[in-house]
Amino acid sequence: MNIENTQSQMRKGILEFCILSIIRRGEAYPSDIVDEMRGANLQILEGTLYPLLTRLKNSEMLTYRWVESNSGPPRKYFSLTPKGEVFYKELESTWNELANAVNSLTSKRESLVSSANNNNNPIEPI
Amino acid sequence: MKKVININFQGRVIPIEETAYELLKQYVESLRRYFANEEGREEIINDIEARIAELFSERLKKGVTCITDDDVKAVITSMGRPEDFDAQGGAEPAGAGQQQQRQSQYSFDSSSIRGRLYRNADDKILGGVCSGLANYFRIDPVFMRIIFVVFIAALFWVYIILWIIVPSQSIQSNITKRLYRSSEDKVIAGVCGGLAAYFNIEVWIPRLIFALPLILGLISGGFEAFWWDWDFGFLPRIITGSLGSTLFITYVILWISVPVATTAAEKLEMKGEKINLNSIRDTVKEDLSGFRTRAEKWGNEVKESAQQFGQKAKEFSQTAGTQARTFASETGPAVRRGGSGLGRVIGVLFKAFFLFVAGIVAIALFAGFIGILFGGMATFPLKNFILDGFWQNVLAWSTLFLFFGIPIIALITWLIRRIIGVRSKNHYLGYVFGSLWTIGLISAIILGGILARNFKSRSLVEREVTQFQPPHGKLFVEVQQSNVRYYGGDWFGFEGDDDLPFYGMNEDTLLINTVRLNVVKSQDSAFHIFKVQLSRGYNPQQARELAEKINFEVTQRDSLLLLPKGFAISRNEKFRNQKVLVVIEVPVGKRIQLDRRINNYNWFNVDFNRRGGWDIDWNENWDRTYGWNGNQEYIMTPDGLVPTDRLDQDELKRGRYKEIQEKFDQPEEEQPSTDTVAPATKDSVIKVRISASSSETSMDEPYSSSNSQMDVSSPLSVFSKLFQ
Repeated sequence: MNIENTQSQMRKGILEFCILSIIRRGEAYPSDIVDEMRGANLQILEGTLYPLLTRLKNSEMLTYRWVESNSGPPRKYFSLTPKGEVFYKELESTWNELANAVNSLTSKRESLVSSANNNNNPIEPI
Repeated sequence: MKKVININFQGRVIPIEETAYELLKQYVESLRRYFANEEGREEIINDIEARIAELFSERLKKGVTCITDDDVKAVITSMGRPEDFDAQGGAEPAGAGQQQQRQSQYSFDSSSIRGRLYRNADDKILGGVCSGLANYFRIDPVFMRIIFVVFIAALFWVYIILWIIVPSQSIQSNITKRLYRSSEDKVIAGVCGGLAAYFNIEVWIPRLIFALPLILGLISGGFEAFWWDWDFGFLPRIITGSLGSTLFITYVILWISVPVATTAAEKLEMKGEKINLNSIRDTVKEDLSGFRTRAEKWGNEVKESAQQFGQKAKEFSQTAGTQARTFASETGPAVRRGGSGLGRVIGVLFKAFFLFVAGIVAIALFAGFIGILFGGMATFPLKNFILDGFWQNVLAWSTLFLFFGIPIIALITWLIRRIIGVRSKNHYLGYVFGSLWTIGLISAIILGGILARNFKSRSLVEREVTQFQPPHGKLFVEVQQSNVRYYGGDWFGFEGDDDLPFYGMNEDTLLINTVRLNVVKSQDSAFHIFKVQLSRGYNPQQARELAEKINFEVTQRDSLLLLPKGFAISRNEKFRNQKVLVVIEVPVGKRIQLDRRINNYNWFNVDFNRRGGWDIDWNENWDRTYGWNGNQEYIMTPDGLVPTDRLDQDELKRGRYKEIQEKFDQPEEEQPSTDTVAPATKDSVIKVRISASSSETSMDEPYSSSNSQMDVSSPLSVFSKLFQ
């Protein structure tokens, strides 16, 4: 069990959720998404982002349009489709459940063992 | 001091140092391989390239003169290396957008995926079934794919059903193994070395497998030299024969389709080790200490040429791959639009059908091609009778190899590369295949032209067979059993195939039975038998010579007319669609009976164009063909042949056959009639022959016409006419 693997598994699930939430606010350019996420201290490589966006686009969660840029060729700006919106809502509720569950679990202080010990008290030999 | 080159990168002109350019190229290549089986691969690569270009131009705007190694490295760090994607975990998101996504949203531990079967959405060729199964059983997807390809007939529906019912899921697999040709461990092209590395076996094993047929062939050849009749039985024949050639072709195809492992990353991929910076560094070190010092110059040269070959090879899969992609991306959305129900099923079936049919066709063609190549063509005797001279043979071979062989090899190459997931954006192999095929096409056209020219002119020789009138007014026509027998080791012992215009052949002789028999009404009261020998040729003279050379002897014994089974042409005469037409003129009231073996002749059409000049007076009768059965007696009436048992006696007496009936009763009266003098009959249909016929009776007076319009349509099309 190595720590990196567990960490990456944890990150993996929320990555799409975060990206969708950024795009949901309005059209976004991929490198802006990366900046935004890095700003929130969530590391993501651009090489990771592009395949993800393409997959989301191919499954019709996202759409894009070409926007002329003043330097060089036009750039792709991504936005959410109605289907993506539904998808996002589901992810959001899942996330909230998950966050609540994790928070309530991790915020608990009392040990299961101690209560078990209490229950076991009468049998405890003296 | 470094060389700076200008590149056009995603629509921007970027001045870049040559070394930096190499770095960049390698990086893009590594991405390309990483996303090899990803659906939106081209798009992803394009997006990343566009972003890199943008970063470069930002850098240039800051006043830098050109892009350096450091700039490229910085960009790569920011974009991430393929090996970082795995670590980062974002590259394989849990089935982005897949319908089944929620199912395993909580099961982060990869081991839990093992419990259920999914189709792998990230590493797939068709539907990801093989990849998913492989993941389920924890084996290499390539094995699963090979199993499915080999047992395609049995597993086709299994695949389709699994495709439809098994949900799709992104499965992170750690297998980063790919088939390369080994650049270090090689005898010929490194195919065996690569296979050994891929399957993690000793290199001598594939070498032995590939070399075994050769060794066995040598051994058994040695034995055969000592014991002539010694037969090794079934097994060695298979190994030295079909299996040997199949393995040989397999080796060549692998040689073409599998790239050489040149970069350190590729060498690691070949062995299936996890690629990261450390392992690459180790390999490079190993390289530096051993391999490079040993044979740098020589090795580089060979490697370069080998790599070029590999690059060429990469190309083809690219074009084919893009086409398949386009196809897939066209069907893909359609499938999704159709929802989860019927549309999806149809889409899946459609896509599967396309690739499976392509696979089956390729395998079938491949088998056929190998069969022709090693079994038939080399000793195929028919070519001796059609082809003339060295250049026609060259053209025929190039047509066979290039025009028919190249598409098959191309298809196989494409399928193999598809299975092992090799991708490239170079186009050399396509050009090579394309130009070779074009050469094949050109030779096919030239050969066709030459052959057509050889068959251009036609001519005929016509003879009347000396004929005395059969006693009792009845002629029996029989086909002789062939008394020609051919012996020899290279005898091609097939006989009497209805679809072929010949019924037997060996190296030097071709037996042809394109013979047609027409029974028509005689215009006088005598039997006449005409033999017309037809042939085609390069010019009218040649056609006529060939026609005259046809040896088709018709003999008569009393009332029996004997026809040969066919006629033989020798290798020198060539096959030019020689045909023999036998016309039997039966006078009204006389009877004829045909042997059933006449049906063995290959019928051909005689189609007359009277403008075209067979202006012989009796030719009008030729296009009146009478259907008949073998071994049945017929009688000639003014309207044509009628089976005698169908003419009932009353009707014969009552109607216009009365006259015939009379003759029928006393046939002897009609017997010995002279050629031109018809007996005085009441029937106006029977005309006296015009004087021209006198010359026809002289036996050896040939008649030929170079521009008569005979139809040469294939005999088999009219063979059925016989049974009408």
